[in-house]
Amino acid sequence: MTIVTGKTEARRRLQPGKSGVLRNIWEHRADYAYVLPAIAVMLVVIAYPIYYTIELSFYNTPPGLQLRDKTFVGFNNYTAILTSAVFWKVTWNTLIWTVGSTGISFVLGFAAALALHRDFFGRGVLRAILIIPWVISAVAASYIWKWIYHSDFGIIGAVLVGLGWADRPPNFIDSVSTVLPSLIVVNIWREFPFAMIMMMAGLQTVPDQLLRAAKVDGANAWQRFWHVTFPHLSNVSTVTILLLAVANFNSFIIPWIMTGGGPSNASHIWITHIYELAFGRQRWGVASAYSVLLFLILMTLGYFYVRALSGNDRKDGSA
Amino acid sequence: MSTIAETSPRGQARRRIRFDGWRWGGRIFLVFMLLYTALPMVWMLLTSIKSGFAAMQFPPQWWPDQPTLASYQKLLDPQNSVGQDFLRFFWNSLFVSTATTILSVIVAVPAAYAFSRFTFPGRNFLFFTVLLRNMFPAVIFLVPLFILMRAIGLVNTHGSLVLTYLTFGLPLAIWLLKGFYDNIPVQLEQAARIDGATRFQAFILIVMPLSTPGIIATAIYSFIGAWNEYIYAYTFLSKNEQLTLPVGIQRFFSENTTDFPGLMAASFIMSVPVVVLFLVLQRYFVRALTEGAVKH
Repeated sequence: MTIVTGKTEARRRLQPGKSGVLRNIWEHRADYAYVLPAIAVMLVVIAYPIYYTIELSFYNTPPGLQLRDKTFVGFNNYTAILTSAVFWKVTWNTLIWTVGSTGISFVLGFAAALALHRDFFGRGVLRAILIIPWVISAVAASYIWKWIYHSDFGIIGAVLVGLGWADRPPNFIDSVSTVLPSLIVVNIWREFPFAMIMMMAGLQTVPDQLLRAAKVDGANAWQRFWHVTFPHLSNVSTVTILLLAVANFNSFIIPWIMTGGGPSNASHIWITHIYELAFGRQRWGVASAYSVLLFLILMTLGYFYVRALSGNDRKDGSA
Repeated sequence: MSTIAETSPRGQARRRIRFDGWRWGGRIFLVFMLLYTALPMVWMLLTSIKSGFAAMQFPPQWWPDQPTLASYQKLLDPQNSVGQDFLRFFWNSLFVSTATTILSVIVAVPAAYAFSRFTFPGRNFLFFTVLLRNMFPAVIFLVPLFILMRAIGLVNTHGSLVLTYLTFGLPLAIWLLKGFYDNIPVQLEQAARIDGATRFQAFILIVMPLSTPGIIATAIYSFIGAWNEYIYAYTFLSKNEQLTLPVGIQRFFSENTTDFPGLMAASFIMSVPVVVLFLVLQRYFVRALTEGAVKH
């Protein structure tokens, strides 16, 4: 029945040209009232900034916020960025940071969700404790770990010395080679709970009958996981990984508070670098050009994000 | 939940012989994760009850010799200047977060309902535009928003923060709630309308109560997001008496870099409201994710 009405409606819409679409919009005018507040807020806080950032990226701006004196420089900001050594250093850091944090957070979170799926004594308490790092502020987390990593009085250094594995406490976040992995450990600490919650929610939707049927057919635990549970969770996994990747790509607080990007740019990622360019060195034009490049990358990620989500929707429609 | 409870005793008895390896692996893994998660927080607490001198020792005092609540007293005492500042930051955070939460729910509920129920033209386009907001980092919006806020006279007010935080929380809030409304049978509303209710009455009287868990989850998410936000507060506010907790703490301890017990106590106090809120209401949150975002 739906097919027939769809066809006739399409035919009707084709004949009078655009008026069918307009009438359709007019007939639904009351519906827009519901989404209007959300859209209005979004427009002010998104559309305008995006436009402004793109415009600013083609200008050379004087220090300070006297933006009236800006001069048009074409693509100079972009070529300056792409030919600078710092850009490639920061891009490489961002890649390691994003892939490392996302991958490990997801694996740890998924494993924790699986281990917590079966009921046992104290499960609720354990789950609650594991989620806490995700809830507390990243600023607090940064300070806690900064204290843990402290080069003189840090607890990890003290343990290593106490066990005789090191002569003196190592410099975790003041050394070029260890700073990025050390920060990634902090980031994972805050982020794996999110993956865990998402995958726990996903696990509850795996039909029990399927698992039981697979068991009757002689599948072992690994086979049941790999052939039944995991395929069923592919959509949730995609969404979780994408959300984590975007959050990591955009993270700022942990590197900013713990190291400020140092030592010698070893822990600068894109966002901290953009922030420093804009608010530290007042180079708004270059910072905006960076932001536009970031846009392009994120739009690519966003394309997959939307595809993963609409994949969910399609399933919803057919179910 | 009930199905798990029913099947597990039987399953355990049968599986014990064959899959011990997996279970032990899972247990060891959970112990490892518990240590990884909890030890930093335990160390924060232990440090916060030391004196400044006791914290700066090598090797460290694993357990404080003379536990003291001096740091907490200093932060929470309205008589001295540190306590005054800290309490003011606390109230600022509370005000901004509460305002953001209330507005988020007011804006997200009708939007999510419309995205779930109505088929107006451009629905999918608008829905994904809303979701795309999540894709972009705060820093991209900082400069233009700062200029925008200055133009409409909101710089150095809490209003600028509430307006920006609203847009962080909205996408996930709308997405979660939409999933919730998708799972509420339309027939319930139709029945109400046949009984003479208007569409709005059906929405308020039938749909709203059924989606309470989703609304609670949305509210928690907005509150935590606003409470913990740092970049905008760091950029938009410059007057000391307006700062929210994350920025206030950072500013305060960039002046007293060695007062780690005070810093840990402040971190702990800052974490208490959101952790308590989350632990009390977490079942709604997990349920909202299961029913709203994941189950299809």
